Amino acid sequence: MANIGIIFRREFRAYFDSSIAYIFMIVFLLFTAGIFMSGFFLQGAADMRSFFGNLPLFNLFFLPAVTMRLWAEDKRIGTMELLMTFPMKAHEIVAGKYLAALAFYAISLAGTITLPIMIAAIGNPDLGAIAGGYIGSLLLGAFYLAVGIFVSGLFKDQIAAFVVALMICLFFFFAGMPIVVATTDGWVNGLGSFLENFVGITAHFEDIQRGVLDMRNVLYFLTMTGLFLVLNTLSLEGRKY
Amino acid sequence: MIRVENLSKEYGPVRALDDVSFEVGRQQILGFLGPNGAGKSTAMKIITTYLAPTSGKVLVDGIDVTEDPIAVRRRIGYLPETNPLYMDMRVDEYLRFCGQARGLRGEELRRRFDFVVEATRIGHMLKKEINQLSKGFKQRTGLAQALIHDPPVLILDEPTSGLDPLQIIEIRKLIQDLAREKTIIFSTHILSEISSTTNNVIIINQGKAIARGQINELTRDAYRELPVRASLVAPRDAVEAQLQQISGVDHVSVLGESDGQVSVEFRVQGDIGPAQRAVGEAALANGWTVLELGTPEVTLEDVFIAIVQNSDKAKIHDGQPAAAEVTHG
Repeated sequence: MANIGIIFRREFRAYFDSSIAYIFMIVFLLFTAGIFMSGFFLQGAADMRSFFGNLPLFNLFFLPAVTMRLWAEDKRIGTMELLMTFPMKAHEIVAGKYLAALAFYAISLAGTITLPIMIAAIGNPDLGAIAGGYIGSLLLGAFYLAVGIFVSGLFKDQIAAFVVALMICLFFFFAGMPIVVATTDGWVNGLGSFLENFVGITAHFEDIQRGVLDMRNVLYFLTMTGLFLVLNTLSLEGRKY
Repeated sequence: MIRVENLSKEYGPVRALDDVSFEVGRQQILGFLGPNGAGKSTAMKIITTYLAPTSGKVLVDGIDVTEDPIAVRRRIGYLPETNPLYMDMRVDEYLRFCGQARGLRGEELRRRFDFVVEATRIGHMLKKEINQLSKGFKQRTGLAQALIHDPPVLILDEPTSGLDPLQIIEIRKLIQDLAREKTIIFSTHILSEISSTTNNVIIINQGKAIARGQINELTRDAYRELPVRASLVAPRDAVEAQLQQISGVDHVSVLGESDGQVSVEFRVQGDIGPAQRAVGEAALANGWTVLELGTPEVTLEDVFIAIVQNSDKAKIHDGQPAAAEVTHG
């Protein structure tokens, strides 16, 4: 645990030591809150459905940018050899780096907390649904970030890490969309619902966002996150051979 | 302290290391010598557990690097060829981070921190960001990082590359100071580097250890290949005739003659010492004045070239193909 904390602190500080972190957060907030607010008064409903509904798409671009440097930079500047010869287990370093990215995302997300406060002041929103939305967004982020850190471990180049992580997340994003599910079910009966239940993001995310905290949906995100973190650890161990 | 047995490493079809064995005792310095891409860095990466060997065994303090890498890492301070610095950190932050990551806490961390700052003389740079440091100070910070947990073993991959002559002397002196209590392996492709730091070397070429031992022994072998020169104030014919009679001396040739002074060159079969002495005695008996007698200064470059050429020749005799050149990133 101590080792995870040491790596976490360094990585977390590294985000804020450069101006990139602040730029990223401002863009994230302007983008997510701005697009939400532009439709908010037209819609005339005191909820945040469209805000959370857009996050799986927006995060496709934001989160790979958060994770792309995690390993790729260490490989490029040579600190990989430092990290990998610390008396630590590979999974401890993975966990430290990953949690730093997750904390950074959680802080960015927490910056949107003014939205529900404002909505509560002018209307009577379903706070359960909003809480569900935040939990879902955090779980979704956990998944995207795990994909991102795994991909970053495969590349020396940050841009390559960004693009490939985006592509993989995009696959999971599309795989669960109703149109994709319906079409694939038309080709092979059952394949579409398999995609919907076990691969795609949409159904799981929407359930949580409605305020229904079904364990199956939570498990989907946690399993996916765990899977990519394990893959990341394995790829680091395999690098030696 | 460090024992390497039949170590081989393959990167796909390329053999970067081929059956290398050596041993370094406690508080010894071993110089790793070889051209770029010879396999020096690969060997070091395996000793430090960064890479796993394809075959063979490495023991550090009796611990197998593949069986308990974490225990090995605790005992090793490592400065890779690419100095592993986080450019956005301050020197003090970086050193504390490395200390903590290697298990130092509280008072112990403070004590070791103060020690390495003192030893590498970076005290006035502590509050600077690493990217603002000169190359020499970056290198010292890298060394400080490798020393912070007081490891009994130091692995330094080209610790002086890219430094100016004064900085090189400083780093070299630091290594020598450290050697009093630590076992050190350091690599270089600069030959003079080795002879001023240690006498104990291993020469690696194309993944194979082609020579191992004391520099002066290796030098002696190279001396055998070189002719002896003599300048005498004496008649030419008499000198030639005398030299031919001395056992072990052959290939006598006259290089030049002027003002009653003659310069000759000859080769010696077997040990040079007795033959040289016999030449001196002959000159004394004949009443000749000896102006010069001996072999020209052998540089490590000569030694190195002689050994590398011999090993290349041997390889062709063995009918083995030469290993491809490998570069390490």
